[in-house]
Amino acid sequence: MGCSSSLPDRNNGRLGVLSSENSGVADSKNLRVKLVLLGDSGVGKSCIVLRFVRGQFDPTSKVTVGASFLSQTIALQDSTTIKFEIWDTAGQERYAALAPLYYRGAAVAVVVYDITSPDSFNKAQYWVKELQKHGSPDIVMALVGNKADLQNNREVPVQDAVEYAEKNGMFFIETSAKTADNINELFEEIAKRLPRVSSS
Amino acid sequence: MDFTSSSSSSLTFTDFLDRMRHPASVDLVRSIKSFIVSFSFHSANSENDSKRLQDFLLAMETTIKDHPLWAGASWEEIDNAIEGLEKYVMTKLFSRTFACSPEDAKSDQEISEKIFLLQHFVRPEHLDIPAVYQNESAWLIAEKELQKINAFKAPREKLLCILNCCRVINNLLLNVSISTNHVPAGADDFLPVLIYITIKANPPQLHSNLKFIQLFRQQSKVISEAAYYLTNLISVESFINGLDANSLSMDANEFQEKMQAARLAKAAQVAPRNISTPRDPQPVYCDKEIHMGGRHYPFMEAEAGKLTVEDVHKLLSVYKDVVNKYSVLCQAVRGLSLNKEKLPVALRGDLCDCILEHPRADCNPAEQDVVEVEGTKEKEKETVSAGLL
Ligand SMILES: Nc1nc2c(ncn2[C@@H]2O[C@H](COP(=O)(O)OP(=O)(O)O)[C@@H](O)[C@H]2O)c(=O)[nH]1
Ligand SMILES: [Mg+2]
Repeated sequence: MGCSSSLPDRNNGRLGVLSSENSGVADSKNLRVKLVLLGDSGVGKSCIVLRFVRGQFDPTSKVTVGASFLSQTIALQDSTTIKFEIWDTAGQERYAALAPLYYRGAAVAVVVYDITSPDSFNKAQYWVKELQKHGSPDIVMALVGNKADLQNNREVPVQDAVEYAEKNGMFFIETSAKTADNINELFEEIAKRLPRVSSS
Repeated sequence: MDFTSSSSSSLTFTDFLDRMRHPASVDLVRSIKSFIVSFSFHSANSENDSKRLQDFLLAMETTIKDHPLWAGASWEEIDNAIEGLEKYVMTKLFSRTFACSPEDAKSDQEISEKIFLLQHFVRPEHLDIPAVYQNESAWLIAEKELQKINAFKAPREKLLCILNCCRVINNLLLNVSISTNHVPAGADDFLPVLIYITIKANPPQLHSNLKFIQLFRQQSKVISEAAYYLTNLISVESFINGLDANSLSMDANEFQEKMQAARLAKAAQVAPRNISTPRDPQPVYCDKEIHMGGRHYPFMEAEAGKLTVEDVHKLLSVYKDVVNKYSVLCQAVRGLSLNKEKLPVALRGDLCDCILEHPRADCNPAEQDVVEVEGTKEKEKETVSAGLL
């Protein structure tokens, strides 16, 4: 099934000058940010990214073939742009050991679970621990509870995730790729949390 | 995805060489040559060699940007010059930098042998690849792209083989997602297909090729999409190296049995009529097969007309085995003194002579960019004088 539904309305900007040390910055006005997606298969990683990449800017902009690597540039108010280069990872158990090859050098890790699946929340915690152990120390981590539209089937209480995120110094948001709820907010918040340029 | 966009489409390597022949670029040519020659003052070390190359490319980029010959040049022209430079220099330094350590040769052989075994029994289902993706013709194209990797010496071109393979897979996945109205496939779908295709293709010197690209492709080009797909193949290498009974959707015992059967089949393919037994300790010539060091080389007296299709399969596997060993031997010999007397006794003889007479036998004939700086033909001599051996 497709990720479906209404286009999200997007408002860009509102963000300060940003940069990132370890993600291959193009120049101080145009930043490239490597973002890696982690989480169980089926939690909605692909849908979140497709929603973000297709749902904004001009719809004619060609989407790169294949959904395992996608990029999307957002413009900030101060005419800075951030190009998110989004690396998908295979969520199947047998590939778990390969993940470090993908998150090496990433400026951002987005760890996704499905709010209707406690298993996927456990798996998310596993990834957070892995990143803390092996990721770069200044990596920006986001915990994302997806499928927030399925409130009636919720099995992971918001409070559990909030507490877990707080304890681990990461930011937490619930999204729905289906309704587009909080998808743009997720990436805007990430942009805000990227290490700032040390003005020289 | 347009992988070629990073390097100009209309400008070519020949354009680069033309510029280098221009009298005004004599200073550049001098730096390039002295850079190449400088390698002869250091023993081969991939990390150091890589750093030296990367620093050189960066420095040359600055030089070229300020160079009168490139005054007012577009970004594409500058880019083409750096690409040309990378290709030129790495072609010259190829035998020093590619698969240059015995460890690399060993890794190449190990993964190749493991893939050879896996080829006997691994099916798409074992990697949970959905039937909708099983498209023999698309997969064959993807395999061919990977297998081309040794037809090139330049890191950029080797990388392009990988990217082309990935593009074929992505096209397939995209078409399926359109026709079935599914979420466009992500890494969950892509990686297993790439693993399967790599097993089918058994690309030559996989480990060395991946290492070479990582070390010697200009770093500013190993970003974004290219970096992503390169990382995927690196993770395929890692997956295959670690592949055991738990890595596939297959019963653990069945996996062990299949691996064992594949090993036996391999032995039987190489020595179809003669599996050496303890009672047969010193086989020399036996039933028209040559036995050397415990290895069997059948068909030495065979006539082409009498070969069956089955024989051709066997021949191919013998051929691959011989080529593998020959490459390893070449690598080993290159690391030794060229003084024949000093070579280990085991390496003396016909094969050894042959290697010494053709010191560049490892170079791939498919890559024949005759690089002529200053319009003179200096190919072989220059390579040797640059201390590449
Ligand atoms: N209800 C609902 N379904 C979703 C949402 N996001 C994804 N899905 C569905 O979940 C399934 C898996 O999504 P996908 O993006 O492929 O997951 P991935 O394996 O993590 O990439 C698909 O059938 C999607 O339609 C969401 O926010 N709400
Ligand atoms: Mg996915």
